[in-house]
Amino acid sequence: MSDNAGFLQKHHFLIRRLHSLSGILPIGVFLIAHLVTNSSILWGGAALKARGQAEDLSLTQGGIAYFQEEVSWINTQVPHLLLIEISLWAAIAFHSILGIYYATSGKSNLAHYSYQDNKRYVLQRWSGYLGILFIFYHVATLRWGWTFLVPSGTEWSHHFSASTLAAAVQGSTSGYTAIGVVVSLFYFLGVSLLVFHFANGLWTAAITWGLTVSEQAQKRWGYVCTALGAGLMLAAWSSLAGAFLTDHDTALEVESAILVEEHGPEHLEHLIEEVMDDEDHDEHTLNTTDTDNNEG
Amino acid sequence: MTTATAHQPTSDKPKAVPGRSVIFKIKRCDGPGKPFRWESFKVPTEPGSNVISCLKWIAANPTTTDGKQTTPVVWDSGCLEEVCGACTMVINGRVRQSCSCLIDDYAPREGDTVTLEPMSKFPVIRDLWVDRERMFNALERVKGWVPIDGTYNLGAGPQESPEHQQMRYALSECMTCGCCLEACPQFLKEEDPKNWDTAFIGAQAISQARYFNEHETGARLKGDRMDVLTGPGGVSDCGNAQNCVKVCPKHIPLTESIGAVGRSATVHAIKKFFLGH
Amino acid sequence: MSEQRVIVVGGGLAGLAASVRIAEAGLPVDLFSMVPVKRSHSVCAQGGINACNEVARQQGYSEYEHFDETIYGGDFLADQGPVLEMANWAPKIIDLLDRMGVPFNRTHEGFRDLRLFGGSLFKRTHFAGATTGQQLLYALDEQTRRYTAEGKVTQYTFWEFLYPIVENERCVGIVAQDMRTMQIRAFRGAAVVMATGGNGLIFGKSTNSVICTGGAASRCYQAGAKYGNPEMIQVHPTAIPGADKCRLMSESARGEGGRVWVPKNVGDTRRPTDIPENERYYILEERYPKYKNLVPRDIATREIFDVCVNEGMGIDGSNQVYLDLTHRDPDYLTEKLGGILDIYEKFVGENPRFTPMRIFPAVHYSMGGLWTTYTPGDYNPDSPLPAHKSGNPIPIDSNPGHGLTIGAPNNMMTSITGLYAFGEVNFAYHGATRLGANALLSCIFDGLCNGQSVVNYVRNEAPTVDTINQSVYDNAVKSEQDKHDAILATSREPSEASPEYNPYQIGIEMGDIMNAQSTVVKTGAGLTKCLDKLAELRERYKKVRLADGAMWTNQSLSYTRSVGDMLILAEAIAKAGLLREESRGSHYRTDFPDRDDDKFWKTSVATYNTSTQLSDIEFVEVKKGLVQSRPRTYGKTDDAKDTAKTPEPATAS
Repeated sequence: MSDNAGFLQKHHFLIRRLHSLSGILPIGVFLIAHLVTNSSILWGGAALKARGQAEDLSLTQGGIAYFQEEVSWINTQVPHLLLIEISLWAAIAFHSILGIYYATSGKSNLAHYSYQDNKRYVLQRWSGYLGILFIFYHVATLRWGWTFLVPSGTEWSHHFSASTLAAAVQGSTSGYTAIGVVVSLFYFLGVSLLVFHFANGLWTAAITWGLTVSEQAQKRWGYVCTALGAGLMLAAWSSLAGAFLTDHDTALEVESAILVEEHGPEHLEHLIEEVMDDEDHDEHTLNTTDTDNNEG
Repeated sequence: MTTATAHQPTSDKPKAVPGRSVIFKIKRCDGPGKPFRWESFKVPTEPGSNVISCLKWIAANPTTTDGKQTTPVVWDSGCLEEVCGACTMVINGRVRQSCSCLIDDYAPREGDTVTLEPMSKFPVIRDLWVDRERMFNALERVKGWVPIDGTYNLGAGPQESPEHQQMRYALSECMTCGCCLEACPQFLKEEDPKNWDTAFIGAQAISQARYFNEHETGARLKGDRMDVLTGPGGVSDCGNAQNCVKVCPKHIPLTESIGAVGRSATVHAIKKFFLGH
Repeated sequence: MSEQRVIVVGGGLAGLAASVRIAEAGLPVDLFSMVPVKRSHSVCAQGGINACNEVARQQGYSEYEHFDETIYGGDFLADQGPVLEMANWAPKIIDLLDRMGVPFNRTHEGFRDLRLFGGSLFKRTHFAGATTGQQLLYALDEQTRRYTAEGKVTQYTFWEFLYPIVENERCVGIVAQDMRTMQIRAFRGAAVVMATGGNGLIFGKSTNSVICTGGAASRCYQAGAKYGNPEMIQVHPTAIPGADKCRLMSESARGEGGRVWVPKNVGDTRRPTDIPENERYYILEERYPKYKNLVPRDIATREIFDVCVNEGMGIDGSNQVYLDLTHRDPDYLTEKLGGILDIYEKFVGENPRFTPMRIFPAVHYSMGGLWTTYTPGDYNPDSPLPAHKSGNPIPIDSNPGHGLTIGAPNNMMTSITGLYAFGEVNFAYHGATRLGANALLSCIFDGLCNGQSVVNYVRNEAPTVDTINQSVYDNAVKSEQDKHDAILATSREPSEASPEYNPYQIGIEMGDIMNAQSTVVKTGAGLTKCLDKLAELRERYKKVRLADGAMWTNQSLSYTRSVGDMLILAEAIAKAGLLREESRGSHYRTDFPDRDDDKFWKTSVATYNTSTQLSDIEFVEVKKGLVQSRPRTYGKTDDAKDTAKTPEPATAS
């Protein structure tokens, strides 16, 4: 037996439980925060208005503004962001690699035992496989700047969070492209499966850890997980709908206005130059800044 | 178990044709390492025929539908009352006891086919007879017994509430038939006994471990049991597909046992971490 | 020199209890079973296990009364000492099972709950749901597993016992065959315990498991062990005849108003619910206007049997009658009988709340078995005592050693020294019929109490088997190998598959004739006819043809071999029945309807005659002296005489 297998066997239980735990903390908790934040692009306008802020903005613009502020806060105020991110990626990698190892140790048998629980067992595994692909694409394109995987070729920027996001999922900065719709569908599938994976994983974790023992308890916890899953699903779809429906130029306008308001117009120009230097092929990303400036 | 209601039963199943013949398609194998083959037999049925009575008929009349003389089909059986667990096999793709499998339900019309296969998770001895030694080995691994001091006259056992007795009774009915393991996507066939210590042990042994943990004297071995069940192939290998509880012919709350043992495992691991034992 | 080993054949309650006790005493045990021991037939027992208990004791019950009930229930045919000892041990056995973790039903306060059972006015039956036998078997299986894990018990699962090895008139081992590899080999053992259960398959479809052929007992019998009371076979009145076996239907169905009937017109093919009232023959109501469907168990059994077998009025010409509950409210039935009605529905596929059940008596238990001896205990009253009255002072306390000398090497030893018989396979405890919930007790008692006798025999008297010449074992293996090869060779004989020589067909015909003539209602003529038929079957068996020539896991061979052994035992059963010209317990002769203590307060002892290949039956005095004989009436003498209608003898045609 290799040392590797020996280590795994010796700490079998611990590793299994860490796998279970890592799905909730940090991954699950991050997922909740991430989806709630992202969905603010849809409901943020209303939130601002409820606070009596941004009265001059439309609901759509308000949402973009709210989202931008959230993103800015995360990217500028949260200490040791990179460290947090690396921890998160490590946790995802840990959960993924072990997950694949565990999942491939089973052999599904839906053909003859097509019970609902068994279907979820199978879906949990496939949502894991696809989820890993999706997360990789999502992080690589929007966080690591692998713009060659982005149909619009744009790079996401936390200063222009909504507009660059819109471009990434719509396929271009000037509206929907076919490939953009494919990316959006992939996003839809990915986030939906991941939300399922989390909610279902939360349900099974309660059995694994021995929190829910009786059938009734498992059922009741099932309702809780379903509700949580439904809520997160709504947030996920809202986020995606927000990104998909947000007009790139409107977003850029709102984002620019915020930058100008906070740091002055020089800062904005400086940022634009920076981006221009970085990426010579995405000139129209910011070129549009000067055009439909007065709309809204 | 279903309970009757005051109204007449509705005829939701097709009425069985009396005096019909049914085709039995049987997956056969002459022994370990030998290839599988399918053979069909045309078996006359009588009211109340079950798979066992049809297999008995085939044993006495081993001629296939092609008219070929063959050997009687080999299968395992015992009580024929669904309490010994021996006659478990895969019927029309699903695992169950063959003694309680009525032909009227499975093949109500002339010429209907019933498919019989050996359980797929255990090595075939011959035809439909499989070797479930691994299940008994699992019981030994989890120390499935109450460590009494001996058979001498030492008075009564511990008192117990009726509720607790009912809970233990539900677990005690496990007849080691293997349905839960056959239907489990995490429990896989493992012919080499050397690997039994690390492959998933399955719902049967987990539930039995709980059964013994729930007895006052039996609980003295709880630590040993949990050492096994927190090791490789232990309770944490469960994938929560919950097929086990649905195919269990004794309606044993297997998933509750998995939850309960999961809880014990959590406590056991924490104790072990902080107390070192 | 390695340790002397003990061989236990059979892994039911008796075999496991023996294994545990012997291993505990320090002797290594080799345990042989045709099935994983957890699947042994003991698993089928439902009702419970009898024992005196504190509640009953304070109401006037005692171990002694349990003993008295058992002797009376067995119609005084049992040797009395072992029964006294068994009753005295019963409460301690319950305690032990309790400690082993058997989930006995509990009272609110947490004590073991009790239920009322036949043959007693006291609640003295301990139970674990409706699967007491299963629970007790599992508890002993668990303890055996513990000793197996410790290396004190070696289990040979899927090994079939073929023959005892007897050298210098002592049993020194066995020949057994691996049912998978078909390997035949000898095992040395300083003592051999047979715990192989009953022989229900001789009667075709019985309530027994498929392994209960009596083959092992028959092989010991052929090797020279005597067989006691072979004719004493218990038939349960209401069983569900299945296409494969008969399953019990509790008598409570009659208690809740079940009516027993058949169509008046023989061959009436209408559905039972379509047959009008005036075209139904309510057997028990018409024959016994006073008790109607609630006549005692044996009478119900005989009348149902008579209507079908002798009058040919069974449903569709088969051996079945209706047990009809459809006139009762379905919800009421569910409340009172839910569990047993569900069993019927599961195995028959019809809802007995709306369709009358089809039932027939079925062979259930063999009181007879390998003849065994014992050393009496220290209780020897000057003269046998009359019936014990509840609450009266008991003549003897319940300490061990009053009925049997504990540990005496010959306790439950067969007529072959060193060969023991424990549990249903011996004849010791139940006389002419068995009380409900006493079977589990006798099995465990044998293992626990008389296991010590085996230990003492091995320690003090047994020959050192390791020094016995290997040729003894080689010859025994060769003899069995030759028999085996001869049967196997028939599979290669070219012959059109004549059903005449088909082992399964021979088995079916044996079951039919034994069931018809040697169970519920016996007559001299019927038993003679039965013996003739058995002779014919034995002749046909000589030309039996095997359909499977495989050298691997050949079940047909195993079955065919046991058919030959069953035929030999069947002859002893029928012949003893013919010679016992009286009625006693389960043995009912219409031509001799009364018990005849003068001539037959005796054990019928069968010896296999190797030259005639038939049984020689002698009648040996029952070892009595503790309680007096009295009529077994259960207080219904007068009524029974008034209303009893003796069934006509079966015609010999």
